[in-house]
Amino acid sequence: MTEKYAVLPCNGLDKAFGPLSREVALAVLAARGGELVCPVLLHRAPARYAKATAQWPLLVIDGCATRCASRLANEQGLPIARKLQLSAAAKAAGTKVGESLTPGPAGLAFCQTIVADFLKEAPAAGESPAAADFPGVIEYEGFAHDKFLFRVPKSGYLFNENDCWVRVSGNRARVGISDYMQQSLSDIMFCTPPEIGAEIEQFGEAGTVESSKAVFEVVSPVSGKVVAVNMEAADQPELINEDPYERGWIAELELADFESDRGLLLDCSQYLELVKKKAAEFQK
Amino acid sequence: MSDNTFMGVPRNRIPWAPTIDYAKCNFCLECDKFCPHGVFQRQDGEKKLVVANPHNCVVFCRACAKTCGPDALSFPSKPEVIQLIKQLREGATEA
Repeated sequence: MTEKYAVLPCNGLDKAFGPLSREVALAVLAARGGELVCPVLLHRAPARYAKATAQWPLLVIDGCATRCASRLANEQGLPIARKLQLSAAAKAAGTKVGESLTPGPAGLAFCQTIVADFLKEAPAAGESPAAADFPGVIEYEGFAHDKFLFRVPKSGYLFNENDCWVRVSGNRARVGISDYMQQSLSDIMFCTPPEIGAEIEQFGEAGTVESSKAVFEVVSPVSGKVVAVNMEAADQPELINEDPYERGWIAELELADFESDRGLLLDCSQYLELVKKKAAEFQK
Repeated sequence: MSDNTFMGVPRNRIPWAPTIDYAKCNFCLECDKFCPHGVFQRQDGEKKLVVANPHNCVVFCRACAKTCGPDALSFPSKPEVIQLIKQLREGATEA
């Protein structure tokens, strides 16, 4: 069964990728059906699209990193099911679309590629493969600051200074973001896990987590190969807010050189001290 | 852990901060609005943003670049900076 979408392109008028976002939207709708959501009208009269956005998953197409369409969806309280970011995709593919505000042949060819890739991908569903067992009830140390309570596990986790954690089980490790970071980001609206099979260096990017405030790069505390990703958190990113250390894990890695990585990480009590310092500095 | 260290290394010895490509920057100020650490500053009387406080920048954070519509912000190579941090840490242990 092919899936229909409510499609929200940024449709930005003053940059080359804005008009291309509309081209991509129209091509996806031509292939799958659904409804085009005009960002201007969604902003002005959201009721107009209430039926479409309730009925079908929302595909957001951002032209550039300003992410106007994603932010608009977030302001309207619309969960984002799928997402395309054209300038990043073009950069990754080494494609130049030029500056023209009227889509030219290079831009249109790029749109065709994006749409073909999008339509090929199966919608994310089901369990990710080969998830290792990370059992046990976690006990937390709480640290109250202002109106916030920041939690850090009492043991079993290691951290880097970029507020990302790792939990090791045998030669596998799960990585995620700390409670302090999820609260700094506030409501997480989208999680992009890394590709399964990707080799990640220590401090390399292990996916991104996005809120209306920022796109946070998950800085991997360990090196290794991605063997599983948390599809549950990708489908329900609010899990990362609700349970950042357990159900909100982001990726699982097969460890490459944990003994060496370990030397650059903080244990739970050291990280707790760092969070206290960060929270105090932030209040200044 | 003193106030201004990253991974045990004095922050001012780690060359991690954004570089603005003025040919691309359109002075939209999204990065300045986003950055909670005051790395950027508007230059008085000019429509120009500068990296005024590079050592306030969180090492390995590239979040401002991910808000930049015209893709005008770049960062040093992570592997090179990691290598440097390791060397500085070893130096500190030996000293």
